Amino acid sequence: MSDPAVTVEVRDAHVSYRVFEEPAMGLKQGFARGRMRRQYRMIPAVQGVTLDLFEHETLGLIGPNGAGKSTLLAAMTGLLPLRSGSIRGRSRPSLLGVSSVLRPALSGRRNILIGGLALGFTRAEVERRMDEIIDFAGLRADIDRPMRTYSSGMRARLRFAIATARIPEILLIDEALTVGDEEFRRLAADRIDDVRSASGSVVLVTHNMNEIRRFCDRVVWLDEGRVRAVGDPADIVDSYLAAPSPNSR
Amino acid sequence: MTSVSTEAADGSGSSSSGDAVVRPLIDLTSRPTARTYLREAWRRREFAIVVPAQDLRAQNMDTTLGQLWHLVNPALLVGVYFLMFGVIIDTRRGVDNFLGFLIVGVVLFHLTQRVTLEASTSITQNMGLIRSIQFPRILLPAASVNGQTAAFVPALALAILAVLATGELPTLRWLVLPAVLVAQFAFNFGTALLVARIGTTMPDLRQILPHLFRLLFYGSGVIFSVDAFVQSAAWRRAFALNPLYDVITCARWCLLGEPVDLWVVAGLVMWCIVMPAIGFWVFHRSEQRLGA
Repeated sequence: MSDPAVTVEVRDAHVSYRVFEEPAMGLKQGFARGRMRRQYRMIPAVQGVTLDLFEHETLGLIGPNGAGKSTLLAAMTGLLPLRSGSIRGRSRPSLLGVSSVLRPALSGRRNILIGGLALGFTRAEVERRMDEIIDFAGLRADIDRPMRTYSSGMRARLRFAIATARIPEILLIDEALTVGDEEFRRLAADRIDDVRSASGSVVLVTHNMNEIRRFCDRVVWLDEGRVRAVGDPADIVDSYLAAPSPNSR
Repeated sequence: MTSVSTEAADGSGSSSSGDAVVRPLIDLTSRPTARTYLREAWRRREFAIVVPAQDLRAQNMDTTLGQLWHLVNPALLVGVYFLMFGVIIDTRRGVDNFLGFLIVGVVLFHLTQRVTLEASTSITQNMGLIRSIQFPRILLPAASVNGQTAAFVPALALAILAVLATGELPTLRWLVLPAVLVAQFAFNFGTALLVARIGTTMPDLRQILPHLFRLLFYGSGVIFSVDAFVQSAAWRRAFALNPLYDVITCARWCLLGEPVDLWVVAGLVMWCIVMPAIGFWVFHRSEQRLGA
């Protein structure tokens, strides 16, 4: 067995989701046409993606808005059903997205407790790791303030610290590093290394090509729901940036 | 960061040695089986205890009476109903101890109402948590049920004291009350799962529920004795289909010695089995879409 072991295997995955359309018309026309019901159509977001994710690897996922990056991550965690194809993996991945807060009214400390319990820690375990998590998030001075008073960078740090308090085997990061400062990125890099050294894999979705160059071993370029190129970060980023597509950055 | 725990604790440390057992890949797009799901939820049960405890503490922090509101609120309700229905419109017909009758009805009805309303927003209120961390979502409605039930315990204690004060003496039948309360808890839990699920796709539920409970309230004999007001045996049997009527009537039998029909007992047994089953089935079936 010379090949590195696969942690996630995506085969010809197709994902569509429903979007509700709000017809641009007033109440009067709406009644006149006799259809006030919400209409929806299916958007084919991922159209036949095949890729493997290996142990000890950080894979970058780039592409213009609407290329299907976030949809693919959601499908990998089981949040969106596949229309066809398959996604198999060693364990359920943890997805870290850009949602704003956990419990806005509660302090950072209480949010750590709640998040830790949801992750499967016992209360005693959370208490024991509390200081470590607070330090990782760099929030020692502000930890007892309500989370809604935090800046977006502080929120991102706290969520990242909580979500990775138990090092996941497969970590999917959807634009979650973008809001942080340099200090946070250094800490994030440490955590990503923790995942990789524990035989795990990381998928990083971002529009920031510096993040891609810095963190990733391999890059997948998605375009209109399909894989356009796979390879070395430097090469793929160069051709991606040189691509003529109007919204490719 | 010297000591990090890994979810893949078994065998992950030796995987670099080359002869590690390759773990089989599991299908990530299908939902976990009910058994695996419940086991995961049970492992994290502390969440459903600690989180509501904190919420309760935070809830009435800015009011003068604070936590006492969990007692004062049902007491005021009993007072209002006693004035309206016991004194002004006299519905005391056919009841020996109307105040005790009212207290038991109001307190138990109130519990199910609070649990249901709270659970209906348990998913939508926790989107931040859902989008940041993977965990069995059943913990969220479970937290609502636990929190409201815990807040109800002092009200129940007060109700029992009040029933004693109205001149009732404890009998052997009081020993049956815990069984009735456990049945109500099971019913509440099932209902909580159902409304939590419906509330995610239909936020309008929050507006509809109070009216539904208003209707249920009059159909549960909280403020009048159904036996005394409804003559037709067929109609009385129809009341047995109302789970809250079953709970309240059985509890009154325990504490006040009010008569209870066999149909009512059968109704309660049915609801406390069927409702959790329906609730879990509906919730688990669409668990994966709850965060989308």
